[in-house]
Amino acid sequence: MGADIKSLRNRIKSVDSTLHLTRAMGLVASSKIRRAMDHMNKGRQYEAAVRAAIEPLLHSPDCQRSPYMRTAPKQEGQERVCLIVIAGDRGLAGGYNANVFRALQDYPDADMIAIGKRACDRFGDEALRAEGFDYTTALGMAIELCRDFADGKYDKIGILCTHYVSMLSQEVQLRWLFPLQPTEHAPAGSVIFEPDEVTILNAAIPEYVAGILISAVRESFACEIAARRTAMDSAGKNAQEMIDRLQLQYNRARQGAITQEITEIVAGSGM
Amino acid sequence: MNTFTLTVATPNGTAWSGKIVMLSLRGIAGDLAVMAGHIPFVTSVKACDVKIELADEAESQRIGYTDGGLLTVTAEGTTLLTGHFEWKE
Repeated sequence: MGADIKSLRNRIKSVDSTLHLTRAMGLVASSKIRRAMDHMNKGRQYEAAVRAAIEPLLHSPDCQRSPYMRTAPKQEGQERVCLIVIAGDRGLAGGYNANVFRALQDYPDADMIAIGKRACDRFGDEALRAEGFDYTTALGMAIELCRDFADGKYDKIGILCTHYVSMLSQEVQLRWLFPLQPTEHAPAGSVIFEPDEVTILNAAIPEYVAGILISAVRESFACEIAARRTAMDSAGKNAQEMIDRLQLQYNRARQGAITQEITEIVAGSGM
Repeated sequence: MNTFTLTVATPNGTAWSGKIVMLSLRGIAGDLAVMAGHIPFVTSVKACDVKIELADEAESQRIGYTDGGLLTVTAEGTTLLTGHFEWKE
């Protein structure tokens, strides 16, 4: 009985320290979420503005000859694919990292470029953190991707990231960067391109890709924080429930031990 | 003087927005200036100084620096999309 009480007390202590940990991580996530969402919204606005600026170019007949718009003549499955995989910097974020890596199973032969410490660890790349990912890094990466696609190293380049729906819901999505695809509806009105459409398109594409990259990384980071906060809330609730249950067992065991001791004393005194 | 709205948009949000009289900077095809009523126009911008004549009473001038980007002129306003923008003074 004594050993039972001791083991229950140890378990309560252990779960209580886990509860403190999950609460602390939940609070850190809560304090980061507003800033992460602010950055995400700014990134989305920038991406939308760059997209709106280059959209007329994608509908221009001259720009169809651009190396960034060439479509692969190969059949599906034979294309050389490069994926930029954006995962989290840390674990304990529910299924956030696992969902991204599960989506990769559809592209076993693709070359991977990892962003986020977890993705870098998985693919053996140099650590490139999602938190604090800046425009200079995005532009450097975008220039390299543009060169690789224009040189024909890859037939398709995409970003595997997480789309923020709400605090409770985030979806893994694959966004294709190259080849560039115009939207179905051409923008109305005529615009002059100085000096010409193809030159502007070729000069603007690295900026456009960098805009998409930074927007995707910021959105994924906001998803990571939201997923961690939700996971920590849930873990905290579970830990509290477990403590309540163990406390009840402990009180019963303690009460049983006291009752047994009284019974033994009474029996021993021969009353 | 006629004025128009200039917005300098960066990935970190709007760096500056306001009414101006004239914008001059270095485009991919050479130096250019934009004034009110300019036709819709898109060009790529090189890393350069950006001179802005403000529409305040003194019509003062401010000079900024961009590391390159995209300039779009529409009837609604002019937008400079750039990765980095800062005031020089």
